[in-house]
This record gives sequence, C-alpha cells and structure tokens, in this order.
Amino acid sequence: MALAIRWSSSEVFGAAKWFIRRDCRALSTIPERAEEQTVSPKRERQATSRVRISARNPNLGLRHAYPEFLPDPNPKWRNSLREKLERSDMLKRRNQIDIPEFYVGSILAVTIADPHAQGKTNRFVGICIERKGCGLRAEFTLRNVVDHQGVEVRYDLYDPTVQSIQVLRLEKRLDDKLLYLRDALPEYSTFSFDMDPEVLPEGTPVPVNPVQVKLKPRPWLERWERQELKGVANIEEHLKEKDRVRRELRATPWEKYDLMKQYRNTIPIEDQNDIWAEVNHQLRQLQLTRKTTARKRTFTTPKSQLG
Amino acid sequence: MNQADVSKLVSKLRVKVLPRHRNLPGPKGPEGRIDKLRKTVTGLIKFERIELNYNRADEARQYAERLISEAIRHGDCHKPTMDTADFWLLEKELVHKLFKVLVPRYESTNLSYTRLYNAPRPQYGRSLDKVVLELRGNPYPDLLNNKSNNRLLIQNVLLDAAKNEYRQTKIAEMAKNIGKVGATQNTDSKINEAHEKPNIS
Repeated sequence: MALAIRWSSSEVFGAAKWFIRRDCRALSTIPERAEEQTVSPKRERQATSRVRISARNPNLGLRHAYPEFLPDPNPKWRNSLREKLERSDMLKRRNQIDIPEFYVGSILAVTIADPHAQGKTNRFVGICIERKGCGLRAEFTLRNVVDHQGVEVRYDLYDPTVQSIQVLRLEKRLDDKLLYLRDALPEYSTFSFDMDPEVLPEGTPVPVNPVQVKLKPRPWLERWERQELKGVANIEEHLKEKDRVRRELRATPWEKYDLMKQYRNTIPIEDQNDIWAEVNHQLRQLQLTRKTTARKRTFTTPKSQLG
Repeated sequence: MNQADVSKLVSKLRVKVLPRHRNLPGPKGPEGRIDKLRKTVTGLIKFERIELNYNRADEARQYAERLISEAIRHGDCHKPTMDTADFWLLEKELVHKLFKVLVPRYESTNLSYTRLYNAPRPQYGRSLDKVVLELRGNPYPDLLNNKSNNRLLIQNVLLDAAKNEYRQTKIAEMAKNIGKVGATQNTDSKINEAHEKPNIS
C-alpha cells in the first residue's frame, strides 16, 4: 500500500493503461509486440491488400449452406453461361418448394411423387450420408435400416418430382462423408419414420454430433483404416499387422501441404464473390419467407375435429 | 461432377493454372515431386532469380504464388499458414523473409508475384526448354533489354537526327516565306507548292 502511495499519479495511470491494453490479462504470455500492432489500426488499414479485403465479404458464409451454387472446380467443365442459367433455374425451383439448409449427418424426410405408390407419394426418412454434384445435378443420399435391411436412396435436390424436403434433425457429424455407416452396426443408421422434427432456437450455430460409430468385423466395402476418419471408434480392433504396415506405406502426409491440389479443388474468393453477389438477394428473401411461414405455423390453433 | 471444397478459402492466382498438375517423373513418385518443388520454391525465395527447366519452373511458380498469397491473406499469426511456410521453405530463415519482406512488397500489388522468361537453349543436342523464374521487384538488373526509351540507342540517335534535320528545313522555309510575304502577297496554293518542292528534291 505504501508503495502505491509513493508512486506518482502518472506512473499509476501508465500502469493501468498497460494493464487495460493487455485485456486485463496481466499473466498472459502473449508477446507485447502483437498488441502494439493493434494499437495503430489506422496504418494497418492503409496497408491491407485487396486480397484481404475481398475475403471479408459476409456473403462468403453462404457457401456452407448452399455449396451446390458453386460451379465444378474442374476448368474443363466450366461454362459461365450454363452456370448462370443453372443458378437462375435453381432459384426458380427454390421458389416453388422449400429446400431447407441441411448437412451431411442431418436427418431428413423426403416426399416424392410416385405413380405406383398408394396415394401417389412416397416418403422416406434417413440420415444424409453424402452430398455430391453442383448446379442442377446436386444430389444427396439418405440411409436408413428398414426391417433389418439397409436402404439407401439417392435424391436429386432439384428433381421436379420431389414434393417436400423436411429436416427432422439439423446437425453435422465429424466427417464429410458418412459412407462408413454401411459397414457400421445397424443401430447407427436406424431412424423411425414417425420421428418428430426437432426445432433449433434461432441464431444457434449448427451443432456437431461427436458420436463415434462401431464398425462390424471385416470384410468391409472400403479400406476405412486409410481414410483418417474421426467418426469411427473401433477401427484398430479389426486390423492385422499387415494392414497397419500397408497404411503406413500408403500414407500421403504431404497432401495436407499440397497448395495447388487445394487450389484445384476450390473456387477462388474472387470468383465466389461474383456468384454470391448474384444469388445473395434471392436466397435471403427465401430465408425470410421461410422464417415468417414457420412463425405462422406455430401460431395456428388446431381446428376442433368435432364440429 | 464434383462439388467445390468449401472448407478452405483461397485467393485467385494471377498466373495461368493448368487443369491438371504435371508429374515430375522420378523414383519416389508424388512425394518426390513435392520434394523437388520444395527445393525449387526455397531456391526461388532465397535467390529471387533462378534458371531451370520449363516444366519444373511452371509448377514451382504456382506453388510459390500460392505460398505468398496465403502469407498475405493470413499473416504470420495464423498457425496453418505458418506450418505450410515451414513445410515449403527448407531454410528456416526464409520464413522470416516471406512474412517480413515479401508480404509487404506484394501486399498492394495487382500483378503476379513472379515472372517467367524464356531463356536461350543450346543450338545442338537434346535439351529441354530453359526458363528464368524470378520474383517481381528483385534487386537484380532487368532481364528484358527494353531500351526503347534510351536516348543513346542507335535507332533513337538516328531518329533524333532525322527529326532535327526536318525541323531545320522547315524553319529555313518559313524564314524564306516570311521574306516573300513581306514583298508579294502569296496565296495559299503557292505556299503549298513551296512546301512540296524541297520534299521532292
């Protein structure tokens, strides 16, 4: 206390300023220099490149929910006019039926027109194990186990016979593709057809389900041990020494750093900005209408069956 | 048809990219290819101008451009970018050069970060196309011998002399005409004739 009193007021003020600047983390080990850069934001703003400015576009966040709006990255199959026409057709289809946001790992119910079914419609419930394709050819695969028999149905997202797509549970899994569910125990891909849709509160990020499935013993459809899967628990149990050796031999640890391979698999930011600027307005409109209709649905009172 | 990978965002390269990579053949396969390219990229960042075969240069150029654009986009506080730089630059002091010298140099540019020139090849013998790969803004003298603005170039000296001579004749004519105008009022057609005469002779 005596020490503090003996300090001149300016020194105390300076110390307080230092403490505030470090975000009150007096014990943090982050070097001082990093903070010094943030103190002069004006100079940094002048020096920021076009590259960084173009990456700040908020529309780029749409790419996770609507990946099929991006064209195929292979330049041999690019055609700007076709892509533009396809995007306008996709938006027209989205104006006709409500295609919700979903991811691999979400549980969906899809109703399609089927002339041979009773009531002319067919409804299937399952977990989305794969999303493929771009443009009007975008497709997804649902998997379920019906009567102890695994069933997979591949749907085209913009197929005119699709009457409705309903998300029963919106979530992601640890992997990009869940094809290993084919070799997993059936309990991991069994979903009842009369599942109730689960509603997430507005504004929450899409939850990631960290469940790890158990595989059946071999033979398998693919060499799952070589694919670096995060969502499989017991893969090591079924491996022999031979498989481990071959996995080591076949490993490609350099591919993580292959910058041009990544580049050839993606659409660059500058191209994406143009695409999202084109479809952003209509997609937001569709989101708004979906929100308002959902709200209306919650307020409708059930009609009495007796009258 | 494939879906574009949306987990990563990359900035567009300012150089031409082929639809498929080139295999750089060798006993070690794809790993050996990446090793070769690592050596070349390290050399390019270190020496800023190197001479090599076309295929390897064009591949290494794309990787160097990607590395610099990642460094510009994410800066040196981004762990994955730092790992990538650590992988591609075999000499670790070059990581500092990448983030502290090259990023400020190229941050506000609108052009590609590297240039590729055709180099002369020996007249006889079986040899691959040679090229010179360099970073833009390097400290060496310019490779393209573009002297069109140099006053001492022989063509420019001759052109200057010709222009000067033409100007002198014009001035002489004008001086002659001024005297004539004072004595007899010439019409425009006569002046034109006087203009044409020295050109013909």
